[in-house]
Amino acid sequence: MDIAEMLSYGFMQRALIGGSLIAILCSVLGVFLVLRRLSLIGDGLAHVTFGSVALALFFRLHSFYMTLAIIPVVLACAMGILKLAQKARIYGDAAIGIVSALGIATGVMLASMAGGFNVDLFSYLFGNILSISSSELVIAAVLFAVVLTGVGIFYNDLFASTFDEELAKSSGIDTDRINAVLVLLTALTVVLAMKVVGIMLISALLILPAVTALQLSKGFKTAIVCAAGIGVCTVVAGISLSFVLNLPTGATIVIINFLTFICAFAARTLLRRR
Amino acid sequence: MSGAALTITNLSAGYHGSEALRDVSFSVNRGDYLGICGPNGSGKSTLVKVILGLLAPTNGEITLLGTPQASFTSWQRIGYLPQGLQFFNPNFPATVTEVVRLGRLAGKRFPKRFNREDAAAVERTMEWMGISHIRGCMIGELSGGLRQRVLLARALVNDPELLVLDEPTTALDPETRESFYKLIFEMNREKKATVLLVTHDTATIGRYASHLLYLDKKVVFCGDFDDFCNSTEMTGLFGEHGQHLVCHRH
Amino acid sequence: MKLLVAALLALVMITPGCRRAEHAGGKLQVVTTLFPLYDFAKRIGGAQAQVTLLLPPGVEPHSFEPRPEDIVRVNHADLFIYTSKYMEPWAASIIAGVDTGRVGIVEGGRGIPLMPAPHAEHGEHGDERGGMDPHIWLDLENARLIAGNILAAFVARDPSHRGYYEQNAAGLTKELAALDLRYRSTLASCPKKVFLHGGHYAFGYLARRYGLRYVSASAVNADAEPTPARLAELVKLMRTERLNYVYSEELLSPRVAETIARETGAKILMLNAAHNLSRDDFQHGVSFISIMEKNLQNLKTGLQ
Repeated sequence: MDIAEMLSYGFMQRALIGGSLIAILCSVLGVFLVLRRLSLIGDGLAHVTFGSVALALFFRLHSFYMTLAIIPVVLACAMGILKLAQKARIYGDAAIGIVSALGIATGVMLASMAGGFNVDLFSYLFGNILSISSSELVIAAVLFAVVLTGVGIFYNDLFASTFDEELAKSSGIDTDRINAVLVLLTALTVVLAMKVVGIMLISALLILPAVTALQLSKGFKTAIVCAAGIGVCTVVAGISLSFVLNLPTGATIVIINFLTFICAFAARTLLRRR
Repeated sequence: MSGAALTITNLSAGYHGSEALRDVSFSVNRGDYLGICGPNGSGKSTLVKVILGLLAPTNGEITLLGTPQASFTSWQRIGYLPQGLQFFNPNFPATVTEVVRLGRLAGKRFPKRFNREDAAAVERTMEWMGISHIRGCMIGELSGGLRQRVLLARALVNDPELLVLDEPTTALDPETRESFYKLIFEMNREKKATVLLVTHDTATIGRYASHLLYLDKKVVFCGDFDDFCNSTEMTGLFGEHGQHLVCHRH
Repeated sequence: MKLLVAALLALVMITPGCRRAEHAGGKLQVVTTLFPLYDFAKRIGGAQAQVTLLLPPGVEPHSFEPRPEDIVRVNHADLFIYTSKYMEPWAASIIAGVDTGRVGIVEGGRGIPLMPAPHAEHGEHGDERGGMDPHIWLDLENARLIAGNILAAFVARDPSHRGYYEQNAAGLTKELAALDLRYRSTLASCPKKVFLHGGHYAFGYLARRYGLRYVSASAVNADAEPTPARLAELVKLMRTERLNYVYSEELLSPRVAETIARETGAKILMLNAAHNLSRDDFQHGVSFISIMEKNLQNLKTGLQ
């Protein structure tokens, strides 16, 4: 099995393209999320999506209408996490935990009340990067454009708020609005990209490339570009390696991400010693 | 333009139901150097936060640089330096230049982009503060004193008319503290910036401030520093022999 | 908000209560794990039995985890029918939790020889199942044997209605035999002898019985996802064998079949392994035999 043969398959091409697009936007968002200690928000919102899918199935909504119905629910829960963290005197990680647990429980409750669904609920949610369809590729591309545009427009405000929220506020920045922008972009990413690449990859891509980039980067803009680069490289490497070595793709990508992080960490430690 | 830099009328504010400031009123003229002091819990930081719009008051009015605070938008005319960062992350990937440049966001409208003018202002300020040599260093790798200097540079990058400092040197060693206050004094004397300095270090106030506000949830004394030194309030607070401790002049 | 939580809690409480109330009427209470067992038990028991399916509709049995409520339900039953320890490894925990003096435990697959699962270089689940393929009911001869085991259990538990049960069972086995003949003749006349399935390896027994070659994307367990190399292999197989159809499985997402179809231009048909039914099918009273009829139709089309 060589590279040329690998690239001849449509599903591999789509996996590489779709995977790269999603890797970039997750890595970029991830830098902001990790620095604000909201790393697990991807995981948390994925659980909320689970609950929302159950809700949609409960009302017998399918495919396109289901996605349309889920988006506002997940966005609302994302705002809920923000508000909880602000008003209820708890840190972001606990707020995420609360909403996440609620999401799963709602899903389980609804599944039980509905007396079952037509499709196994749990399997419904695990997108697989190898089975990306053309329409899902379009969704990934649109999401890519929307998220990167959003980050680009609000870049300096996001940077200032992430550095120190109080200082940002004193500069006249509406930090509540900026926080909302970040969290909503993340929620949109989780809902749409989860269907394309699955829970495991979304969670991992929101955290690992960012953390690796933070090991190495000097400067905020450098960190963001670096994270995006690492995201793409690990996804492409992961897909290719899984093809050649006959391994499950998603897990391979995550492991490569982890190994990259270890290398970056080692490099940084060694450089420090000099 | 002369006139009041800051006017506070009947200000009350608090957190979660407890009152931190009660019916505070005072005014600061342009070019004044006002030292704000008082015991712990007297509402000094609360006052700063309310002035800067970081906390909403329960009652009262604030006028900043001639404009009511509710409609004040030119935040680049005000420079703010807190005691430290809210959540200091030693791994935050920002260089000194990037941090100082963040100060320039205050004067911008949507979409906020940096231009050559901003870069020039950043260079000038870093030069003036003596931190140009560390422009490429990561903010997290600096010592506390250097970090505060960078944040001061950030506060000064717009050449503000009003400088608000909330216990900016508490965590610093005496030498750094000295150089800090010299810089701030220069801003006040040469660039005619109005300075509001919150500190419990009354000796510093004695050396540099022109006016003093003694706060204990309400205004205990506000006025000329020399007047304070000869007032009954001063003896009441610091005792008969407190004058030379507090009022030693530069 | 509080009202909503209270209402939710009440709903959850009431549901098990409803099931318990059905225990009247002198009928045999039977709980079965998989759908084929449910269908046969209902057919054989007729009016003398109240049969329920343990798996909620739409749930995939390989990943099912019994709740305490399920153990309670089985405990109230007269008969508990499962297939084999390979198919339902979780049945052991239910059996351990019930009073086996009172509840008759029936292994539907007793006496039926098992096939080993194809050795899985791609699917890594060589676990407690010892690598055996548990989907015995898809060989119609085995289905008849299962029906026989169920009949024996009914008769042993309730000898007074022996004749009734035997009559029902005879009707069922006759239909199964007739279906078997139809399968044999139809499939023999199909030009192609290979079928490719995007799901997990369930149709081994069926393929063996009618001399077909069966390839599936995943191993015996539904968890493992196919690796990209495996997908490429399957696509190549489709092309070399010139297959125009690929099969998807019931209940689970048809993504793998869709990927293969997209790559080769093939069309998708469903092969229902009848582990469990979707909610809609359940409400429409679909039977095992009708599922197998549909499977035969789809096989006939796909093997052209």
